[in-house]
Amino acid sequence: MSDATTSALAIAAAVRAGKTRAHDVVAGALERIARRDATLNAFTSVLRDRALADADAIDHRLASGADAGPLAGVPFAAKNLFDIAGLTTLAGSKINADNAPATRDATAVARLRTAGAVLVGALNMDEYAYGFSTENTHYGPTRNPHDPSRIAGGSSGGSAAAVAADLVPLSLGTDTNGSIRVPAALCGVFGLKPTFGRVSRAGVVPLAWSFDHVGPFARRVADLAAAFDAIAGPDARDPACATRPATACTDALEQEVDGLRIAVLVGHFAQLTTDEALAAVARVARALGVRREVTLVEPERARAAAQVITACEAAAYHLDNLRSRAGDFDPMTRDRLLAATLLPATYYLRAQRFREWFRGRAADVFRQADVLLAPTTPWPAPAIGAPWTTRIGGTEVPTRGHLGVFTQPLSFIGLPAMSVPVVAAGALPVGVQLVAAPFNEAALFRVAARLEAEEVVSAPVV
Amino acid sequence: MTGGFERTGLTEADVDRLAAQIGLTIAPEFRAAVARHLAALLTAARRVDEFTLPESVEPAPNGES
Repeated sequence: MSDATTSALAIAAAVRAGKTRAHDVVAGALERIARRDATLNAFTSVLRDRALADADAIDHRLASGADAGPLAGVPFAAKNLFDIAGLTTLAGSKINADNAPATRDATAVARLRTAGAVLVGALNMDEYAYGFSTENTHYGPTRNPHDPSRIAGGSSGGSAAAVAADLVPLSLGTDTNGSIRVPAALCGVFGLKPTFGRVSRAGVVPLAWSFDHVGPFARRVADLAAAFDAIAGPDARDPACATRPATACTDALEQEVDGLRIAVLVGHFAQLTTDEALAAVARVARALGVRREVTLVEPERARAAAQVITACEAAAYHLDNLRSRAGDFDPMTRDRLLAATLLPATYYLRAQRFREWFRGRAADVFRQADVLLAPTTPWPAPAIGAPWTTRIGGTEVPTRGHLGVFTQPLSFIGLPAMSVPVVAAGALPVGVQLVAAPFNEAALFRVAARLEAEEVVSAPVV
Repeated sequence: MTGGFERTGLTEADVDRLAAQIGLTIAPEFRAAVARHLAALLTAARRVDEFTLPESVEPAPNGES
């Protein structure tokens, strides 16, 4: 087997059983990257020699009778926001290209490698993860495998495109305001933003310390669960990482959803959006037999607070470089960061206070329901270079910024959320968010597995 | 980014004065865009600010609950 069109878990099973070699699996992924990435521009680095050496090491371990891990021989790649030992962590920037190579892997990268997965490269993104489009001025735009004239979404655009095009079956990304869920939706793959603190951010360049999240992408629910299980759990290297032990979500896949209370989020989550996005939610709700609707109070204000907190934390992190070399930032990022340095601290703290209040209102909703359904984005992938604004429902909105209108109020308070892909024949993919209470990722996987089994959601290779 | 610039009354000169307070020099070619983005941020911030919260609510940037 040299082709990864089967699932990550099937690859690992075949490698572990000696039916194929990790070397051949990884060589197949490298061949696909060489063949397709000139068009897609998902990768910023391909670690060919290292990946083949790691694959050979796995083959040798298995040949000696040792265990090689649950993801033995599975190729994966990580957003270039993650430290990879020996590689400079670009964070999508020109500025960081001057930095020395990282001396150790980010925790999430290291944990996937410990599980037997083989790192094949680093992936393109919006500069410093501050965007929803991966139209990176320094490294070029990542193109959507469903239509290369369109964006892949962002900021983890390379992570989503690489999985959608089957260059790798698994990837890692980060999500502060939607940067896993938005590209997952636009590229038609599964993407999980876990609970804040569930997956270590150690070795990951921050965007906004208080709500940066690390999570996986995959084309199969079971693969996503296996990747999540490999990376979740306490980590002393990350001060925000939760100390409670992780619950294995792979075990949840076989559980029925009958006992779960599922509801559709309405109000804000059904406004300023397209029929395609609402139809996808309706299709998922119908498949689950869900008729109940719930509202979350003040989501627009929550989104505004998320914007303020993101901007202030990012500006504080980048202030030194903004003082000394602002001209080296991506113009897509620079002016927003410069503006954010000027915002009074009182506004930042009032946004933080609002966040605490809003978290309580979300907790009220989760007393009534276990899983909520909402669109991931208001529309499918826009064209690369699309106009800055778009008119919808009589309102002019930012074409790129509005992609986060349904994700920002949820990640703002650290809720776990998964984007599941709805791909209609001949149409661009859209995503539906499954949202749960903190640390209840298992409920998301139960629902996603049911939807996948009924072929309501799927991530076909493109 | 849309909105807010006119409503906030912010000027490019305001941007320069604020920037100077934190040792930042905004290049002339960036100034108009920075002012526009700051106006949008102020609009978002004021939307939060105008909401009355119970006095007991504290900032708590930890997602675990």
